[in-house]
Amino acid sequence: MDEIRDGMNRIDCDILVIGGGTAGPMAALKAKARNPGANVVLLEKANVKRSGAISMGMDGLNNAVIPGHATPEQYVKEITIANDGIVDQAPVYRYAQNCYDIIQELDRFGIRFQKDKNGEYDVKKVHHIGTYVLPMPNGETVKKALYRQLRKARINISNRYMATRLLTGEGRIAGAICVNTRSAEFLVIRAKAVILCLGAAGRLGLPASGYLYGTYENATNSGDGYALAYHAGAGLANLECYQINPLIKDYNGPACAYVAGPFGAYTANAKGERFIECDYWSGQMMQEFYDELVSGNGPVYLKLNHLAPETIGEIEDILHKVERPTRGTFQAGRGTDYRQKMIEMHISEIGFCSGHSASGVFVDEDARTTVTGLYAAGDMASVPHNYMLGAFTNGAVAGEHAGDWIRDVDHAAIDEGAIEAERRRVLAPTLREDGIPPNQIEYKTRRMVNDYLQPPKVTSKMELAQERFAEIREDLSSGMLVRNSHELLRSLEASSILDCADMAAAASLFRTESRWGLYHNRVEFEGRDNENWFCHTLLTRGRDGMPTLRKQPVAPYVVEIDDTEKDAYYRQRVGSNALKTVAAE
Amino acid sequence: MNGIFDDFADFDDLEENLADPDPGARRVAVMELADSADPAAIPLLARAIGDPDAGVRLQAALALGEYDGPETSAALAGALSDSDAEVAQAAAASLTELKEAEAAAPLLSYLSDATPFVRASALRGIRELRRPEALVPATAALEDASAEVRAEAVGVIGWLKDEAGLAALIGATHDPSAEVRLLAVGALGFSQSLDACAALIAALGDPDWRVREVAAETLPKTASPEATSSLIDVLSDDAWQVRLKAVRSLGKLRARAAVQHIGRMMAHPLSNLRKECAAALGEIGDSAGLAYLGAHRDDQDPDVRKNVRWAIGRLSA
Amino acid sequence: MPLAQTVTAVPVVVDDAKCIADKGCTVCVDVCPLDVLRIAETLDGRKTAYMAYDECWYCMPCEADCPTGAVKVNLPYLLK
Repeated sequence: MDEIRDGMNRIDCDILVIGGGTAGPMAALKAKARNPGANVVLLEKANVKRSGAISMGMDGLNNAVIPGHATPEQYVKEITIANDGIVDQAPVYRYAQNCYDIIQELDRFGIRFQKDKNGEYDVKKVHHIGTYVLPMPNGETVKKALYRQLRKARINISNRYMATRLLTGEGRIAGAICVNTRSAEFLVIRAKAVILCLGAAGRLGLPASGYLYGTYENATNSGDGYALAYHAGAGLANLECYQINPLIKDYNGPACAYVAGPFGAYTANAKGERFIECDYWSGQMMQEFYDELVSGNGPVYLKLNHLAPETIGEIEDILHKVERPTRGTFQAGRGTDYRQKMIEMHISEIGFCSGHSASGVFVDEDARTTVTGLYAAGDMASVPHNYMLGAFTNGAVAGEHAGDWIRDVDHAAIDEGAIEAERRRVLAPTLREDGIPPNQIEYKTRRMVNDYLQPPKVTSKMELAQERFAEIREDLSSGMLVRNSHELLRSLEASSILDCADMAAAASLFRTESRWGLYHNRVEFEGRDNENWFCHTLLTRGRDGMPTLRKQPVAPYVVEIDDTEKDAYYRQRVGSNALKTVAAE
Repeated sequence: MNGIFDDFADFDDLEENLADPDPGARRVAVMELADSADPAAIPLLARAIGDPDAGVRLQAALALGEYDGPETSAALAGALSDSDAEVAQAAAASLTELKEAEAAAPLLSYLSDATPFVRASALRGIRELRRPEALVPATAALEDASAEVRAEAVGVIGWLKDEAGLAALIGATHDPSAEVRLLAVGALGFSQSLDACAALIAALGDPDWRVREVAAETLPKTASPEATSSLIDVLSDDAWQVRLKAVRSLGKLRARAAVQHIGRMMAHPLSNLRKECAAALGEIGDSAGLAYLGAHRDDQDPDVRKNVRWAIGRLSA
Repeated sequence: MPLAQTVTAVPVVVDDAKCIADKGCTVCVDVCPLDVLRIAETLDGRKTAYMAYDECWYCMPCEADCPTGAVKVNLPYLLK
């Protein structure tokens, strides 16, 4: 079983999409629709049928910009404010303009959105300015519907192949080196354009349960996309803006307050009282959550028990069937009936995920990275607060742009030496007699991430993290042991995770201010420092093979936000931490 | 490139496997037909849904959910009467996936089936196809003895959004089943007619709070001049859910006449309701609301405080 | 460093009486995002799926997509 075979195949294609979760299938479909003559390959480490963050579907859209309920301009404003202004608005604006078309297209694919009794989208109100929540009570069929479309379009799907490094040549993208996760055979794919859709870095921190795979994100999302982009020379933006989420404690999955919210549920402290000041799911909100957890008012709960039994039944129907169906099993095991008890919540381990925060491989409004011919979309690309609909929409943007772009280019020349070197790197752990298995390398990396990188961030702790990571890096490259192709997959993931850990530390040390609430709360640098840090941080791979950082200006706004709007927002934050932040400005 | 890319189905092989004496093997063949995404699979699946083995039939019912068109809907509708309940349920679920208008025709003949489940499932399949020819049979189905069938009939008529169906929907707002009434009341939202408004206002007095809640929510979609006073009346409803929706609707309608009533409700112990009252006062935009809002600047609930600040900002601007 | 065998209780359970792996079904193995399931031969020479690696995200596709209802996903003990 899972023996390591010697083998190397080579194929050429026009557009290679890596990652078959959410953004990837849409990118492949749109590339093919835009350029039907193009040879499009969709590569997936797992199986496209059930891969990625929405493996079991999704229970709602929380950023749907639907005419009559919200405008693209309103949405761009809210996202800009929620991210403390550090936003290139053009990609957000593109998303907001395109997403309604994508909703309708998904609807035609057979993906279900909640409709009212006349068959119109049943958008729920949560914010003053705009209304963005569209529930998906039958959202468990998302992946099935996508797979059906991919098959109809006769897209070439390659499952159980993991891309280990991208190939570049002539100063642009040239393809990828991949390895089969069940046979260890290599596959070299030459491509004119590559679209990265590999999801979040969700296996970065260690969940409080200690179970390596008990993560918030689908545990396959081990940050491979960030590592691929990094080693190919692409820039990564604002990685210090971590993802941290409010979750059901121990289960470590979302409680989906945004689904239950429109029904009247809310996040409460142990006294059953609301405490969150912030309007939007953001670092500021997470700071408030964290403060309450560590205060005498904790723990924190999702409160539904004041609702009518009929309403709770409706909420259960959604929460226990879609996205993370084992939520129901978990609550039953704990004896938590939503009618009687509040649901205990906690905060997640750290990760990178633009879907929920603002960090990722830097992209422009066409989903282009800083490497020519290389695109990125979904949770790994830098469009903030993107969520599932953003992955679909920006995947479509990437696919369409790549479909056009490849018409006028040929394959870039590739360096055979790079292929051989990569093969040696990947197979090195398989040639040892004994050593350290990948799971131990991974566990230690992730425990150090928790010990030293989890906010509030402290300089000396993050420097210690870098020392430990360097030691682990040495163990990984000269002492790791792999006995079969499945362990080989895990060893490659361990390598991605370690790369992400180093990036997280380096980016966090670089930005010497506090911003985005808990996500980048640097204890020694209280409050925002707009004079020096109203900018992106851009991380690239330095000559020494380690991360190097620079500042990049925020692009001029497309949608102006006047000072009174900003003020109104900051005045809403009356918590102690927010007052400090305002005072520092 | 064998082995690198996912295969597409070989129909000769599959047809052979579908005739295998072993039901397990037939089942696996049906699953492959589901994945093929090739309409050539439909006749094979239509045959498999009549397999002697219930497991194979179940798999075929699920697999047909991947396909569309009249041949698919006919096969699925036939399976609604399957002796195995699981197969029938799967066929009903697959019927809801239909998108092609032509798929409706075979379903219409099942509206007179002897079994309520079959009639209801056929209506549910028709609903999203929005076929005008379904109006008459759906209206007739409102007289069905089964509440389940009547509910689905209301669904079909509601999705048609045709004034010709209005009288039928209004009739259904008096249905003995609360479930049917609730759906009918919600479905009236498409119409701007006075009749629809009158029915919605009447529904604010329904014995079931969920029906009243939907009526309060739906009323602002219509252009009734009497909506405001009727919604003000239900601000004293026994169920807070109804009051909450009424407040929200009065906010949407910018009902100045409601300011005092909503303002007084700012003292309600339920914070969800106070929050909604503050938002509505802001939306209405009458400075008379300031007197009520001021007292809640320091409300113990942060969401209420946020809404109060927002509303005061709007009223002061 | 030498290796040791450490036991662990795994969350995914397959009822081999219901499993039709010997008919060529590999649905659960195919859909698992973490690729932790494999097919094994039982004592009587039949085939059945089982959880080979303790790396489960308790996400459910194996259970939801199994045509015969043979797969049950429990929560890993460490977090249940």
